[in-house]
Amino acid sequence: MSDRETGTADVGSSAGGRGPYVESTIIMTTVRVVAPFVLTLGLFVMFHGADSAGGGFQGGAIAGSVVLMLAFAFGIGPVRDWIHPGILLGLMVAGVLTFVGVGALTLLLGGNFLEYGVIPIYHASAYSIELIELGIGAIVVSIITGLFFAIAGGMEGPGAEPKPAEEATVTEDEA
Amino acid sequence: MIEPLALPLQTTVSALEAALLAFVLGCAVIAAVLRDVLGVIIAAAAYSLGVAVIWVVLRAPDVALTEAAVGAGVTTLLFLLTIAKTVNPTDERSLELPSVGSGAALLAFVLVLGSTVPAMPAIGGSPVTDGEVSQYYLEHAHEQTEVDNVVTAVLAAYRGFDTLGEAVVVFSAGVAVLVVLQREVFV
Repeated sequence: MSDRETGTADVGSSAGGRGPYVESTIIMTTVRVVAPFVLTLGLFVMFHGADSAGGGFQGGAIAGSVVLMLAFAFGIGPVRDWIHPGILLGLMVAGVLTFVGVGALTLLLGGNFLEYGVIPIYHASAYSIELIELGIGAIVVSIITGLFFAIAGGMEGPGAEPKPAEEATVTEDEA
Repeated sequence: MIEPLALPLQTTVSALEAALLAFVLGCAVIAAVLRDVLGVIIAAAAYSLGVAVIWVVLRAPDVALTEAAVGAGVTTLLFLLTIAKTVNPTDERSLELPSVGSGAALLAFVLVLGSTVPAMPAIGGSPVTDGEVSQYYLEHAHEQTEVDNVVTAVLAAYRGFDTLGEAVVVFSAGVAVLVVLQREVFV
């Protein structure tokens, strides 16, 4: 709650100051303890969706919320710098390509679109469904975190322009 | 392995369900009339959590997971981000009650929607759970798709093409955001 009041005051006094982030030991400690469990739950829901409640959409949303939690606890800027810009786009495209790829593979093997039984591996149907769930999870994770950072970036207003340069330096440093 | 849905035909509302419905309704009304946006967001998150519990009570854990993760979790965080630019109303009033006209429109809308409720089938023994298609899925899903969760079997195998469309819709939403913002990367 104090987050927002300080944030509003900041925006009021200096346009586009530090944003809504306020360092809080309670939030940081809580997130540090909770985040590994939430990430594990998200991956479990994603991987185990074929045999219990859940699936790619749900698991992806839970796993994506871990990044959001980290950003709330440790600041949006550091978390954004920590994520390579290509990762989110790559995950997004890889998820769609996985799904389409499995469908195309079944077509090539002479079956109908997404007719898993024609793939000549052990338990083809179960493994194909797991793979597709993972693809959906990748799409949902990347879109949720992407939307979050897009909204957070929009909040910076005029300060958003120098950002591509920042990113360029970051990628150069990492490369 | 796959047990048929043995829900008793239910036409009354139990105490738990009544309490949940009252909680959800209360949260919705609070979210509508409160002036403080932070309070509205918290009320909306509580509403989503209540709805998620209702889904569990109605034995739809897959939907409950989605509601809890997306409705109560991610949406709340996105809303919290967006209100950082807003300012608190300065006057003392804490409630924003609807005017007479919009109140009347609201009442009419509730009455129209409420008139459809008696047409819904009772929980358990409905055309959905007893229908030919549902029974086919329940009986054949495991042998045909090798997965135990019939919901996953329907989503990923029987209705796989639909799910591909949904996944592409989510993908397109991300691409659309990038196009609108005229950016090439999210972060």
